[in-house]
Order: sequence, then structure tokens, then C-alpha cells
Amino acid sequence: MSMAQFHPTDEVDFIVVGIGAAGGVMAKELATAGFRVVALEQGPWRHEKDFKHDEVAVMFRAGLTNDPKKQLNTFRKTPADAAQQQQAVEYGCMVGGGSVHFTTNYWRFHPEDFHERSMLGPVPGADLRDWPITYDDLEPYYTKAEWDLGISGLGGSNPFDGPRSKPYPLPPMPVKSSGVLFERGAKKLGLHPFPAPLAIISQQYRGRAACVHCGYCEAFGCEVGAKSSTLAALIPAAVKTGRCEIRPKSYVRKIEAGKDGRVTGAIYFDTDGREVFQRAKAVVVCANGAETPRLLLMSKSNAFPQGLGNSNGNVGKYLMFDGGGFAFGLFEHPLNEYKSVVVTRVLHDYYRSDPKRGFYGGGGIDGRFDYYPAGFALAGMPLDGPQWGSEWKREIGQYYTHMSGSLAHASCLAVEQNSISLDDKVKDAWGLPAMRVTFKNHPDDLKAADFLMERQKEILLAAGAKKVWADQSTLGEMTYSRHLMGSCRMGDDPKTSVVNKWNRVHDIPNLFLVDGSSLVTSARQQPTATIQALAYRLADYIRRGASL
Amino acid sequence: MLAAACWSEVLRAQNSQSNQFVWFHPADAAEIKAIAAQIIPDDNTPGAGTAGVIWFIDRSLDGYDQDKQELYRRGLAETQAKRAELFPASTSIAGLSTDQQIALLKAIEKTDFFQQVRLHTILGFFGQPAGLKFVGVEHQMHYEPPFGYYDAEAARGGSK
Repeated sequence: MSMAQFHPTDEVDFIVVGIGAAGGVMAKELATAGFRVVALEQGPWRHEKDFKHDEVAVMFRAGLTNDPKKQLNTFRKTPADAAQQQQAVEYGCMVGGGSVHFTTNYWRFHPEDFHERSMLGPVPGADLRDWPITYDDLEPYYTKAEWDLGISGLGGSNPFDGPRSKPYPLPPMPVKSSGVLFERGAKKLGLHPFPAPLAIISQQYRGRAACVHCGYCEAFGCEVGAKSSTLAALIPAAVKTGRCEIRPKSYVRKIEAGKDGRVTGAIYFDTDGREVFQRAKAVVVCANGAETPRLLLMSKSNAFPQGLGNSNGNVGKYLMFDGGGFAFGLFEHPLNEYKSVVVTRVLHDYYRSDPKRGFYGGGGIDGRFDYYPAGFALAGMPLDGPQWGSEWKREIGQYYTHMSGSLAHASCLAVEQNSISLDDKVKDAWGLPAMRVTFKNHPDDLKAADFLMERQKEILLAAGAKKVWADQSTLGEMTYSRHLMGSCRMGDDPKTSVVNKWNRVHDIPNLFLVDGSSLVTSARQQPTATIQALAYRLADYIRRGASL
Repeated sequence: MLAAACWSEVLRAQNSQSNQFVWFHPADAAEIKAIAAQIIPDDNTPGAGTAGVIWFIDRSLDGYDQDKQELYRRGLAETQAKRAELFPASTSIAGLSTDQQIALLKAIEKTDFFQQVRLHTILGFFGQPAGLKFVGVEHQMHYEPPFGYYDAEAARGGSK
């Protein structure tokens, strides 16, 4: 069946703004349930044949991500500072969104992540809060996501995980040398490494071909469709219903609302820059933790003079970034980490917050070396040595295939002044207010990252590394992030949150938000599984007859 | 598939008999080429010179990095001033001895201009097939385990 086509004056059941990790789930689930859906996506609709192994285009020229030269950001550390023009957020910009280019770590959050405030008490300088839902509320939807998308892993192998109702649908990916060494070092230290759960299919699955280990996962699109993006795993099914129309290159500037306080549709610029108003009975915004609040703030009307969902001024606040540093380890023999998936072993021994450490937080640690050659040459070599010239060049040539390493995914606390807002001077290429990012790490974020860096180095040394060092550019206060969380928090109290426990905007019955913006805490990063579980849960709520 | 439009254009330019710069003045290109050749030298293995990095920089400044043109103009002028200060008898960067070139670049290595030329040189070398080969990547679309020494050893039941 060919893709549905709706006219802008047709009042469709749902508009989905942003068809990425969450939007792809919503489009497929809603269309399958019988609803008529128009998905508006600012990026293009790329296919497997469009993806290439070109590090410069993808990593350095925004090949698959938001273009900082058109979608300008400004950044400041605190509201007292003047915001400077610089890129502060990066996200997948295409049909499939971040699920197309992500590295594919697919952890579930732990049960205690949903009620850390009750367990730990308040953290000065932050707003640590319990979620209005529990792990048990989400568990069926984590399982649904894992089976619908195709996740490879070994259930029960992480002793710190919550209970699971089903195993993973696919066995783990073959262990790489980085995983063997990580496991060796971790076990010597009495830790509990386990096979990484990944959104990459280790075997044929539901008509999709298995991974061919080409090595271009992180930041790239998969050329064989083995990465379990919504592009590969869900969007074809959404289109096949005949009830879902995907409109790529459609840049939404406003969600329109009527006098009765309900939303009526979305205004966007189409491929040719023309303004179009698409009518709909309800709208689901899945535009990511940075663009969702920006769109709500841009959607001012007589009924909502401060923007949608912002009656209490909470939209955009409590933005959280992805903390954690990278440690390099040089080994005697070649590992050839440029082959196959990025991560094959992970540990969660330092995940839980431990008051004895003297700070909030912790993290998960991956065994991995995910530097493509130019990226390694740019920032990989120890800073106490040369950074250009013959000796530097010779060492890069000797090191590259002999490198392993480790990345921490560290906690990031919610702080009220860390936020997305509209810049009052700078405009984007469409003449809309540029996104202004305000962000300064809570001191405990940095303590957690530094603590984890020491553990990462210990593991690499225990594994037999000849030399270990940190990528200094990954430590210290962050000014840039790919994981964008918390800016439209979920909560029971409309005074302190933007969406309720069903991802519905508190004061607008037919407007839903689901993406990283709903997250109440950052847990220990790697939020995609949780974002998608929230989307499956919302779709199920609507399918079961939620009043709109 | 390796290589995008930018690379095929770069390779065509460097292999063509009638290759021409689209942004650089040829005299300036020779100076930038000399700087790039110290960042990634052509020593006992290929470097920025044989990899044709200057063509990558030229096409970048006419394309994605148009906003860096002013940095190149100003930075090169400032570097020429520094050269004249350090080596009054010299007339060009390309004409300096290797030791003099290294001394000049050490004097400017903290500048935005040098960092930009370093970035472009790295991208122009390590981002293309010559750079992958240099670091030991045998680029294929498909690999099978074992991938490296340690997973092969583990598969044999070796060292734990």
C-alpha cells in the first residue's frame, strides 16, 4: 500500500512532531491502532543507500544532525552571563531522528532511579525529585520496545538490573577485544561486567538482515538496516497501514491553540519554505529535549501568552546533559576496534548513589574505543606529548589499532536554571528565535565523572594496559550535549511539572509530549530505551481509550 | 561506501593536470601547504603533501567552511608577520628550512588560525583512504569475528 496522503484541511487524528526514537514509536503504534497520523519531521527522509562511511561529512559537517550554521544556538553558563553564539546541542535530524545515528546502548533505568529523592533526600543546589511512575509501570513497555525494535543482549546478566518479564529477543553481539579486556580487568577487581544490550540485531529478525560488523555505528546510519532505529524497525510498518503520512523537511514553528484552550494543529514551513497549517484532533510533540520546549515557547497565543504548557513557567527548565569522561588504554597487541559494534561489555557496579562517596550520583561504564581516525588524531593523544609533527604522527599510526578504552555515563542533576529558552536577539535561518541554552553542571556531576574516571583507569590497568590517559575534553563543565533531558518534566503537580504521568500536558487535554524532555532524572544516561518505553506506554494509554 | 562528493572532487583536483584552486591564491596555497606538511609530514610514510590535503582545504573554504575564510586571511597575514620577525631574511613560509618552519609553528600553535589549519589538515588526511590505511584500517563493508588479538585468544580459551 502506498503512503497515506492527507490534505492540510483534513482534521487528522494526530500530528506527531518529530519522528525520531519516540515519534517513530508513536506513529507506528497510533497508525496500527487505527488512527490517522501526519508526522512532521524537520530533517530529510534518508534510506540505507544514503548512508556512507565518511567521517568528515558525518562527524564534522553535521551530515546527519542539526546544522549549527542554520539552526543557531546561543549558550551561557548562567542567566547572569551574556549568551554567545555556539553550538550547544546536537541531535539526529532526519526521519528516525537520534535512533538512526545513536551508538545503540539500550539499558533500562534501574528501579531505584524512579524514586531516588525518597531514598536519598534532597541534594542542595539541585531539584532531585521522584518520578510519578515506577519501574514496574514501565517494565511491560521496556519489554515491548525490546521485542518490537530488536534488541540483542543477555537478560539476567546484569545483577543490578530490575526484574524482567521476558528475555531479550536476540543473543548478544560477539565480544570484541575491548570487551574481553574490560571483562578481564573488571573481574580482577571483583566487579560484574555483562554483555551490552544493544539496539543492533545479532541475527536476522522480522525480515531484517543481521549486523555485518562494518564498524560505523556511532553517529552513522546503518547501511544494512541492522541498527534497530525506528527508521529500519518501525516506520515501514507505520507507512504500510495506509494511515500514516510522513512529511520530511517540514519545520514546525507553532502548535496552534483555540480559544477553548485545546490545540488545533501545527504550522510548519514545507520543503519550499511555504507556511502550511495542518489540522488535527490532537498533537504529540516528540521533537527532543531541546526542540520540544523551544516549540512550546514559540507557540504563544491569546489563550497561552507564555507558550503552551507554560502557565507555571516550567517549560525548558531542569535541562540535563550527558556526563562522563573517556579513558584511553594502550595495549600490546592489536584490538582493531574499528571493526563491529562499539560496546560489547558494560558494568553497573558504580551506578547507584552511595552517600559514603560524599556526592550524589554514579554511572555505568562501557568498555569501548569509539574514535574514528580523524577524531582520534584530533583529541586522542596524551596532552603531555606533541599534538602535531613527525613524532605525533608516528605514534598515532602505532596506537590506533592497539587502543581500547572506556566511557562513563555519569549522572547529571536537575538544576532549575539549566534550561532551554528563546534567544532575544539571534534568529535561525527561518527567522525564528534561536535556541538559547543555559547550562552549568552541579558540582556533584563533576565529582561523579571524576570518580568514575579513576575507576575506568583502574579497570584498564587491571586488564594489562601499558598506558592509560583521559580525554581531557570529555571532563569538566559541559557546554555541549547529545542527550537532552528533563526540560518538560513529568509530575503529578502542575505547579512544578509540565506533563502528567501519562505524558499529557497538564492544562491541555489534547497535547502530549514524549521524548527526553519528560525525564525527571537523568538516571545514568543512555536514555533511549526509557524514552521509547514511555512512548509505547503513552500509545497504549491512547489506544485503550484515553479521552482526548 | 567510502567517500562523499567532497572527496571525489578533492581526488579529481589533486590528480588533474590542470588542477586549479577555487578559493586560494596560488601563492597563499603554497604557504598553507607548507604549514600542513609540518603538521602531518611526508616522512617515511605519506603525509599531508602526498595526500593532497591542500585541495581539501581549498574546497572546504569554498564550501562548508566559508565562514573560516576570514580566519585564514587574517591568520596567514599574522603568521607572515611572525615569520618576518623571527627570520628577517626570509620571504615565504614555504621557503624556510624545516627547522625554521617548526620554530615558526611552535610560536603560533596556540592561535585559532593554527588550530583551524590543524583541524583541516587532520580531516584532509585521516578522513580519507590514505589516512585510514596509515592507521592500519583495512576498510571493508563486512568483517567476521575474531576482530582482534584478545577476542581471538579468548575464543581459543586462552588467557583470562
